[in-house]
Amino acid sequence: MKRFQTLVLIAVVALLWGLNYLFEENLNPYVLRVIINCGIGMILAMSLNLVNGCAGQFSLGHAGFMGVGAYISATITSVLNLSPFFQTDLGVGCAIVIGGIVASIAGYLVGLPSLRLKGDYLAIVTLGFGEIIRICFLNIEAVGGARGLSGIPPKSNFFWVYLWVVVTFIALLRLLRSSYGRAILSVRENEIAAESMGIDISHYKVVAFVVSSFFAGIAGGLFAHFQSFIDPNSFVFNKSVEAVIMVVIGGMGSLSGAILGGVIVTLLPEVLRVFEQYRMVIFPLILIVLMLVRPMGLFGHKEIWELFRRKASS
Amino acid sequence: MNQAENIVLGGDFKVEALTISFGGLKAVNGFNLHLKPMELQGLIGPNGAGKTTVFNLITGVYLPDSGTSVLDGKSLIGLNPHQISKAGIARTFQNIRLFADLTVLENVMVSYHMRVGYGYFDIFLRTPRYYRIEQEFRDHAFQLLKVMGLEQRKDDKAKSLPYGDQRRLEIARALATEPKVLLLDEPAAGLNTQEKAALMGTIAEIRNRFKTTILLIEHDMKLVMGICEKITVLDHGEIIAVGTPREIQDNPKVIEAYLGVG
Repeated sequence: MKRFQTLVLIAVVALLWGLNYLFEENLNPYVLRVIINCGIGMILAMSLNLVNGCAGQFSLGHAGFMGVGAYISATITSVLNLSPFFQTDLGVGCAIVIGGIVASIAGYLVGLPSLRLKGDYLAIVTLGFGEIIRICFLNIEAVGGARGLSGIPPKSNFFWVYLWVVVTFIALLRLLRSSYGRAILSVRENEIAAESMGIDISHYKVVAFVVSSFFAGIAGGLFAHFQSFIDPNSFVFNKSVEAVIMVVIGGMGSLSGAILGGVIVTLLPEVLRVFEQYRMVIFPLILIVLMLVRPMGLFGHKEIWELFRRKASS
Repeated sequence: MNQAENIVLGGDFKVEALTISFGGLKAVNGFNLHLKPMELQGLIGPNGAGKTTVFNLITGVYLPDSGTSVLDGKSLIGLNPHQISKAGIARTFQNIRLFADLTVLENVMVSYHMRVGYGYFDIFLRTPRYYRIEQEFRDHAFQLLKVMGLEQRKDDKAKSLPYGDQRRLEIARALATEPKVLLLDEPAAGLNTQEKAALMGTIAEIRNRFKTTILLIEHDMKLVMGICEKITVLDHGEIIAVGTPREIQDNPKVIEAYLGVG
């Protein structure tokens, strides 16, 4: 079992490596950019899914965490000039992880008010936090202020982004399929009952925020080292809303749904470019229709393989 | 040391002078209760007498204005609901509060979380310890579902269960916390007469099988009379009578509270 898993993991890494070569050689750079943006969207959606979908807390500040990850990792690789190591693939990887860790600390700070707030009120607080983080970067001259930060080593490619997609997916799936995951889900289902069954709901709300913002920070780091330029406008409120839309489309609490949502929300505006100025009319219309037809999201609470299992058995 | 001393039955639970006001209303005033290990007591009273408020005070949902609550020598006042649950008091809810979107088995497994023996490291790397403990949890939960007659529905969503099964699942979930004291809040509400009788049988069986002390809120006097050793009657937040079912039945104050002054 264990050996089988290791083999699969090696096969996946090899496959990603191979695809990376293939895509860089043969694919139109624009298409490759869109594919990589989809990957970043998937990580963002999966991470937000933990808070909004699984723990049942409504966070509207996800772009803030992404921004923390992006700025911290970019600062390490291109502002601080620590060592040439941080210009290499591995060094950038380390910087991105550090960005994720700092983002998770920010997540801890935002998670704390969630202990006392619910629903709309929490949404407003997280929205505020997201904006505060953005305004902070806007006013720190060392990271470029409003001009933004350029010259970031463009090290995230297809391989690294999709490796992180796989890591995020496995980590979150394993978390959810454990006793800790059930504790987080029970908070969503019924807080009073969860507490009465010995679940420290405050603790698990914060855990959800911390884990979620870690991966959002990773998404931000990958984004920064993909665009090789970031400015505070990359992490505006709209980005948070986009992340929420990804989760809602895919189905709250469904990891595979979040992946699909990430792809749809990244891909649709690109596909709709043929409609030129009507693009941003058609995109929301599609979302509205989708919500009317399937209000629970494409997969609801289920994962994609569970949907098929249900069909096979009945 | 003789054997009798070694057997310590948990679940000696004592509540004294528990009081809480909501604004000007004294919802519960000077509530006393003593549950001896493995005792099955009833708490009855007309609508709005404060029975559920007593449960909420005991389980830490509300903080009492005054009073003490001691389980096996340990004070529970000021603890959070989850700490009280860990200390050994479990409850069910009058208005069912299941984890609707989790499966029946998962509902029960949530209660085992307080005893989970693995950490985040084990989760992400899926160590043998993770597999072993998850399997243990699944087996235990399945056994409990068998006791409550729910084993056939273990993979169904809790919300898809019929009403009576949902009530039984609530009890199974509470039992999974391995409580010393089990508080049942109108477990028979909404059941028909046969279901009620069956449930009362199950409750008596639970007490013997799991060696728990049980406090039962029930609206239906006849039901409580059948299985409880001692009954406390609450009206307008105050105790108006305590005694054996027979004593309660003949108590004029109780008759008055239920039927009004004739």
